[in-house]
Amino acid sequence: MKVLLIDIDKCNGCYNCQIACKDEHVANDWSPIAKPQPDTGQFWHKVTDIVQGSVPKVRVRYMHDTCQQCDEAPCITACRSAAIYKRDDGIVIIDPEKCAGNRSCLDACPYNVIYFNTDLNISQKCTMCAHLLDEGWTEPRCVDACPTGALKFGEEEELKDLLASAETLPSDTPAKPRVYYLNLPNKYFIAGAVFDPMADEVLEGVTVSLISLESKRTITLQTDFFGDFWFEKQEPGRYSLKIEKTGYVAATLEPIEASKDLNVGDIALQPQGETHV
Amino acid sequence: MGETEKTVVKGLSFLGVGIDANCVQVDCRDNKIVRIRPFHFDWKYDRKPWRMEARGKVFEASGKTLIPPFTLGYKNRVNSPNRVMYPLKRVDWDPNGERNPQNRGIGKYVRISWDEAATLVASEIRRIEKEYGLGGILLQADGHSETKVVHAAHGCNRSLLTLLGGYTLQVRNPDSWEGWYWGAKHVWGCEPVGKSAYQSNIVPDIAKHSHMLIYAGCDPETTTWGWGGQTVSQLCYWFTELGIKQVYITPDVNYGAAVHADKWIPIRPNTDAALYLAIAYQWIQTGSYDKEYVVTHVVGFDKFRAYVLGEEDGVPKTPKWAEEKTGIPSRIIKALARAWAAAPTSTVHGNGGNMARSPYATENIRMEVCLLGMQGLGKPGVHMLSTIEWGLMGVETPPYEFGTSVPVPRHAFYPSVEAANRGFNFQGQRDAAVQLIPKDMIHVAINEATPEKPISWYGTTFCRELTEDQFVKYQYPAEGAPEIHMMWSDTPALMTCWNDSNYIAKAFQSPKIECIVAQHPWIENDCQFADLILPVATKFELDDIGVDNLSAEYGTLFYDAKCIEPKGESKSDYEIVCAVAEKLGVLDEYTGGKTADEWIRVGFETSGVQDYISWEEFKEKGHYVVPNDPDWEKYPVALRGFVEDPEKNPLTTPTGKLESPAERLAKHFPDDPERPPVPHWVERGPTHDERISGDRAKTYPILCISHHPRWRVHSQHDDMQWLREIETCKIVGPDGYAYQTAWIHPNDAAKRGIKHHDIIKVFNERGGVLVGAYVTERVMPGVIHIDHGSRYDAIVPGELDRGGAINTITPRNTTSKNATGMVSGGFLVEFGLANLEELRRQYAEAFARPYKASTGLVWERMMA
Repeated sequence: MKVLLIDIDKCNGCYNCQIACKDEHVANDWSPIAKPQPDTGQFWHKVTDIVQGSVPKVRVRYMHDTCQQCDEAPCITACRSAAIYKRDDGIVIIDPEKCAGNRSCLDACPYNVIYFNTDLNISQKCTMCAHLLDEGWTEPRCVDACPTGALKFGEEEELKDLLASAETLPSDTPAKPRVYYLNLPNKYFIAGAVFDPMADEVLEGVTVSLISLESKRTITLQTDFFGDFWFEKQEPGRYSLKIEKTGYVAATLEPIEASKDLNVGDIALQPQGETHV
Repeated sequence: MGETEKTVVKGLSFLGVGIDANCVQVDCRDNKIVRIRPFHFDWKYDRKPWRMEARGKVFEASGKTLIPPFTLGYKNRVNSPNRVMYPLKRVDWDPNGERNPQNRGIGKYVRISWDEAATLVASEIRRIEKEYGLGGILLQADGHSETKVVHAAHGCNRSLLTLLGGYTLQVRNPDSWEGWYWGAKHVWGCEPVGKSAYQSNIVPDIAKHSHMLIYAGCDPETTTWGWGGQTVSQLCYWFTELGIKQVYITPDVNYGAAVHADKWIPIRPNTDAALYLAIAYQWIQTGSYDKEYVVTHVVGFDKFRAYVLGEEDGVPKTPKWAEEKTGIPSRIIKALARAWAAAPTSTVHGNGGNMARSPYATENIRMEVCLLGMQGLGKPGVHMLSTIEWGLMGVETPPYEFGTSVPVPRHAFYPSVEAANRGFNFQGQRDAAVQLIPKDMIHVAINEATPEKPISWYGTTFCRELTEDQFVKYQYPAEGAPEIHMMWSDTPALMTCWNDSNYIAKAFQSPKIECIVAQHPWIENDCQFADLILPVATKFELDDIGVDNLSAEYGTLFYDAKCIEPKGESKSDYEIVCAVAEKLGVLDEYTGGKTADEWIRVGFETSGVQDYISWEEFKEKGHYVVPNDPDWEKYPVALRGFVEDPEKNPLTTPTGKLESPAERLAKHFPDDPERPPVPHWVERGPTHDERISGDRAKTYPILCISHHPRWRVHSQHDDMQWLREIETCKIVGPDGYAYQTAWIHPNDAAKRGIKHHDIIKVFNERGGVLVGAYVTERVMPGVIHIDHGSRYDAIVPGELDRGGAINTITPRNTTSKNATGMVSGGFLVEFGLANLEELRRQYAEAFARPYKASTGLVWERMMA
């Protein structure tokens, strides 16, 4: 059984996967697996830029949306023409001949990855390039075109070790996806910097503690040589930040609402015994 | 799919001048390109990838090419609805009557036959020759494009005019690395390019020894793409894995910073020199620089030191001083200075980005080299790593041969197909050129120069010229040479890629210019000003030969075979010039008596590969993969020889050492305030006033940066429908037009009432362009970022552009008074909401042209 594994932290955002899919499927007829995709407008493998944080703590991650090839695919049960089927290798196919264009799969899909082709009056989506796999290819076009190894395709058994720490996309209805993700952007960074305003210096080696106001769990780290701290991949929630260094008045920032990646800004730590202006 | 008729290995980089990269496998069937995919090196050859080891980790070269998206989706470009299908003539251009130059950029076209087209070009050449001499013809015969060899995309016209005995040459300048050429050469030589010529085995050395990498204006996820693909992306991930800190000093979170930066330091555009001066100040104050190295390897440090400390001008270049210029808090400058001095640090550049292409860019770049010198340039882990064009002019000693200086493990040898090249003259000899005009002064030459009042400048500006030439004064018209009256271009992209191109539009409309010929596969940019437009076939439509020498993994020689029939009546550039040569009666001389196929064979037989496989095997397999050099590790790292014995292994500066002050600048331009012998901070000068401290900034308070584009190679690829769906490429306005994306900060947007995806007008005294607002934290406040190269779509030629070609409003003047470089970034603008309804009423014709949002302009709009 095939799986696709997407490591968000390894994606450089080149969009090759999105483009390779179009190169393969636009103006090419791969019946009975797929009819041609329209020139534009459909994204069987879709990349979306997610800009995280604010100046100067900013990163970009790239989300990948594609058919999740669910083992309990809601689209299969929703289709009134019995046009959608699951292959032995786990790939879900919309039979372009049988599809009657009633669009019920579009409503049923919890991941919004099925598109409707008005010219052909059929639903369309990623086929994992099953027409190529059947010809002996070992991976679909998106994976072949990926320069960083962010996309991996193969037998579930072979990728077992990597899948152990991976997760699938959540959905309202249980679907059992066969597409796995590493480092999904569903956890956030909480970052900032600490400096001494009197000395006009960044402060390295400051102890910064991030305390969850809900679970009281505390994580501690030291600022780096720019005085920066980055708490990576934190669960959404409310936090308190405690900033401490010998010889300085400790500071606390709370509550911090982490509902997205957060730059808490540059924090001035006042030396003890100094009267700050 | 089993019936796929043919799979062809092609190079699909966009350098355009004889050396290719980004090899792909093209599956084609029934006159159709089925798919374009990465080339797998092990398809027909058993090859072993090179490996590097450092800090217990291994990097192994990829087994496939790491192509960029515009290579992958290039089918879009071949099938573009903007292809030129037939020879076209501007309706109101009558070679025997009124030529109506004022209508260039506005006028419509009619289809003509190839015979008429070739006859017209030939008769115009003879007419100009008779009336003014052949020097009256300006050849634009360089630049970037598809890379073809026998059917060379550039310079076929030049070969013909060389044969005829004269022409005026538009000189191919170092358009992306001006600061290095006009600045860095005066510190470290590095002939002929000015960027670090010494690249040999730098990457494994960085992997072993560097603790920090500084990407000043560098985007390793963009600039490298069209030249050598995405290997550098993999290397950046590896550097992270090795624990090497990657610091980006840029006004924006470029695509490299977005995924690789450990630290982003936002810097106000074109203020890098100030930052570097403050770092030097800190190092001198704290004594944290390599004093021994400075004594033995640097000349003139006392004067440099005096300037930094303020002994020369009374202004110590302190971090506080630099904070005001750069917008970087002084405490961050101090922390950066400490980190840089504490452990081996290298800088990384594509070609330098905006800091190398700004007003007074020489000073930014010279200062960076000075800092590297202060930390022992060439010692383990202390280099300038170049991310592109590996091996190309990346050279150590004359004759600057290809491939001798590559930062990664090198190939066993570097094949050459130069003998088959029918166009671009890579050595850049001036042949029969009677005079030169720098590419960045074409508009000034046409609009301002006269025989009575010629214009002058320093240096030929040719990108491979040696430094001595920078002190030679040239003029146009040259002594005894005519003014130009005809332009023949195989590179019609001045409007999108050169400086103040609104002024170029005026030059195109000059009554002095009696005939403009443009040959190109697509009707775009300068083509719209031509009197004759000749359709060129893409490399998918021709048989040719090519070599990929720029990819890191392997070298590949390929039989660049035809996949589909030429679109419409298109011909290759070579075939077009052959047609003109025939009319002129010099066809046999021009072709050397050989057919294109015979020239392909010449290419193979002189490539170096003929020693390994036969012509028959080459044709049958379609390619040859050059193995790696198993002894790559034996080549000394970059400047190690200079470090160990500078007397025996001198640099190419007059003293053989790092120079600051520069000996030659002190001799030739001792009093130049804009490029003094010691690199300076130049707030403003007679040539430029593009700082936010000046009066102009009261009207134009925003600094504009314009990078080498993410989704194009310069002006190429702007019609690719699959790329135009990406938000950072185009933003579709309420009028259905896909506008060029422009990054602005939420604070600047809010001040002007601009929302994400609003269409805005960016403008200064030189004109305006319409773009789509991408409101983002990826750019610092006070800055707008617009990738260059968006296709020109004039609302009013020379004044207002809907296509987003930002170069229409870049500064006209060169880098500085005596540095004849181009300026394309770090200049002042203002922006505000565009009133599209009002514009539509005012310019109804421009807004009603045939157009497809998915691909942009379509060729029908040009037809009468």
